[in-house]
Amino acid sequence: MVFVAVAGLISSCAKTEKPLPIFGQREVVNGDTVYHKVANFQFVDQDSAFVTNETFKDQIYVTDFFFTSCRTICPIMKTQMLRVYEATADIPDVKLLSHSIDPEYDTVALLHDFAKRLGVSSDRWHFVTGVKDSIYKIAQTSYFATAMEDKSEPDGFIHSGAFLLVDKEQRLRGKYDGTKEEDVNRLLVDINRLRKEYE
Amino acid sequence: MSRISVFAVFVIVLASCNPSNKPGRSVKFQQYFVEGEQLYTLHCSNCHQKSGKGLGLLYPPLDESDYMQENLSDVICLIKNGSSGGLVVNGNKYNQSMPGIPTLTDLEIAEIATFIYNSWTHDQGIIEIQQVTKMLQECNTGS
Repeated sequence: MVFVAVAGLISSCAKTEKPLPIFGQREVVNGDTVYHKVANFQFVDQDSAFVTNETFKDQIYVTDFFFTSCRTICPIMKTQMLRVYEATADIPDVKLLSHSIDPEYDTVALLHDFAKRLGVSSDRWHFVTGVKDSIYKIAQTSYFATAMEDKSEPDGFIHSGAFLLVDKEQRLRGKYDGTKEEDVNRLLVDINRLRKEYE
Repeated sequence: MSRISVFAVFVIVLASCNPSNKPGRSVKFQQYFVEGEQLYTLHCSNCHQKSGKGLGLLYPPLDESDYMQENLSDVICLIKNGSSGGLVVNGNKYNQSMPGIPTLTDLEIAEIATFIYNSWTHDQGIIEIQQVTKMLQECNTGS
């Protein structure tokens, strides 16, 4: 009887403290577990500044893939990402990174105008363009997100509406549907859970 | 179901109805409005939002819009043919292109127009298919 009660207490405590999952393959090297990490990248943001892994040093970030002329799911994703931007306004170690999957059309100038019109600052939300294949590759291999050209699609691309949560070790800790308000609510909760790991 | 519970359900259904349920509105208006709301959700709300508030300076608001108030026939043409030149709403210039939806019928456009012109701050009454057909014939598609 007492044992059951104690076990119940323990499991109810454990429930609230359960850490977020770590996505991807892992291997054990010399007794240490090595997790899947975001590969090295270098893109250019709306202020013509280089954005690399180093930009997100000691930062948690949320990332997605979109393009400015997209009329299907992107406006909803941007509405939802704007919620994340506003909800994390007072959190210094959370940043946002939106990759254009139409980098030839989405020039720095165009992304600059887009961000300005959305009313967001490049200090906290980077909109990046770069070599198309590098963007598609990092989407698929680092973030497990879909992004590619497809002429049969109405706007010429297929891409997922996923938001990815990346921790300070550049490991993937969450995947959310950026077109669904409830899923983005879950992301906001998870950002706080993830931040607690660093306290 | 007892008579009382049927009545209760009826009251709830009535109470949950959208703002189309204004006294003095015709059945035809209600039909236009309800159909228009569905079409709006399908074709327009991605960018203009269900709330009609638009998104930043990317997609203009519809909930309060001097452009809508002053340019009904242009709005009708925009829904059908789209726009790429940019336009000014409430003093702000918007430059994203808007895709037209050429497959919409005149009736569907009248329904969308009736919905947007009677939602949020607007209270224009029904926009009839005959009006829409006439406006569409006069669209300036050359620009």
